[in-house]
Amino acid sequence: MTDQSGFTRAQVILLYVVLTAAIASGIAIFSSASTITNMLKTATEGLFLPILISLIAAFLLDPVVQFFERERIGRTGSIFIVYFLVSILILTLLMLIGPPNWKGMLQALKADFPRYFGRAVEYINGLLSTLQRHLPFIKSYDLVDKLRASTEELFGLVLSQTPKSAMRIGSLFLLVPLFSFFFLRDSRRIMRGLISLTPNRYFEMILDIYDHVSWQLAHFIRGRILEALIIGIVVWMGLSLTDIRYAPILGIIAGVTNLVPYIGPIVGMIPGLIIALVDLGMGGQFWWIFCVYLLIAQIILDNFILIPILISRVSNLHPLLVILAIVMGGKLYGVLGMIIGVPIASIINIAILEIRQYQRTFSPYSRIISTRDEYN
Amino acid sequence: MNPFWSNIFRSSGYQETLAYFLSTVPIFSKLKKRELSFLENIVHVRDYKADEIIFEEGDIGSGMYAIRSGQVRIYTRDENGREIEQALLEPGDFFGEVALTASRPRIASARTTEASVLVGLFRSDMQDAVRKYPAISAKILLGLTRVISDRLHQSHLLINELKRERGQS
Repeated sequence: MTDQSGFTRAQVILLYVVLTAAIASGIAIFSSASTITNMLKTATEGLFLPILISLIAAFLLDPVVQFFERERIGRTGSIFIVYFLVSILILTLLMLIGPPNWKGMLQALKADFPRYFGRAVEYINGLLSTLQRHLPFIKSYDLVDKLRASTEELFGLVLSQTPKSAMRIGSLFLLVPLFSFFFLRDSRRIMRGLISLTPNRYFEMILDIYDHVSWQLAHFIRGRILEALIIGIVVWMGLSLTDIRYAPILGIIAGVTNLVPYIGPIVGMIPGLIIALVDLGMGGQFWWIFCVYLLIAQIILDNFILIPILISRVSNLHPLLVILAIVMGGKLYGVLGMIIGVPIASIINIAILEIRQYQRTFSPYSRIISTRDEYN
Repeated sequence: MNPFWSNIFRSSGYQETLAYFLSTVPIFSKLKKRELSFLENIVHVRDYKADEIIFEEGDIGSGMYAIRSGQVRIYTRDENGREIEQALLEPGDFFGEVALTASRPRIASARTTEASVLVGLFRSDMQDAVRKYPAISAKILLGLTRVISDRLHQSHLLINELKRERGQS
């Protein structure tokens, strides 16, 4: 029995069954894939921060480990020696200075924050009203209230999350040394394994490019972190000379925000200036603090000393890219993403630049062109 | 010796290791066991199929290869693009060593003639080693210099001989 299209009924049924099965399995694969990605996402959720920090630690400790390795100590042994030294260093520092009273400081800050904020808002309100007096066509805008609501929300969130994240910080103390140990010990082997997968014809090229990129990256990351550390310490020291409170916290803020070019230093300056303005008034101390932030930390130290020494050859990002990186990082990982978005963007930038540089110098065509130039 | 016994008393497998192979390459012949095992960690072992191009004339070289097994044909091309064989290398031979210290274009092409295993030592790894382990790297580089200066010496002798021949004729 055949119908008009020339298929037997059995064939039609078979086709129907096969199509249904195909669609069903397609849907199943799609849904299981999305559950798998979901599972992966939940599984890796808490790992981003520890891995990031341990990578940074590994980058910082690597030169020290290499120093010991040069003395004919095995790599694992050198890592243990470095760990031992670092823990001794931290312990002695804690013994000497005594741990800064973080908890008390945070609690005091929690109490003080509304006061600081209120004063800042008052000041802005004053500015606005003078503005309105001079330019009456500007409608009174509810910006201040909006700002207050969102900032207080953010700050409350940060404070309420702190005790919750105490456990996560505890796990960081466990995970970071462990991870960075393995990164320090095996990163070379892992990268060699990955590189050895490239086809024979491109192997030499890939190896050379990897060498260039990794060298640049190591310098860039080390330079950035050292820069942030030094800026943070200098700001802390500079602020400690005045009567301002929360100098350590302000130093940390200045150091961390310094990782973001152009915008970071300004943002890092604001809390210190507000606190100075509210607590100390517009006196000499305020201007000293202003000088510490702007002149000493940013202009003299960062622009003239640190950036030329630490991050010399690495090109800077275009300001537009910086803003894009901050926005995208913020969307992905919140405040943390905003801070690390720019360094990650610069890392990608360095990789691209290096690869292009390599292609230009080492492509066979450039050689032909350069010889042609010699004849002309 | 009877093959049965030689099979039982075979030397403890050291002759099959990469380190032993490396010690047979002239550049590395003066290295001690410890240094050889270091070298083992910075070389790359690559498998090639038959008739696979290793590099071509004019490529920017980044390292040397030693042949562990198989056969490699070194050739250049004349104006018509025909291959002119320069050498046919066997296991234990090495080539491309000039690129180890400076990135220069390769002066000849290399191609495997049968399935081969090559051991590559590359400039980037060597530079890394110079920074981290100066003593061992110096020994490796001395070996390289010895081989290259031997060749230079030989080519000098050859040039002198040619000059003398020209003077006589």
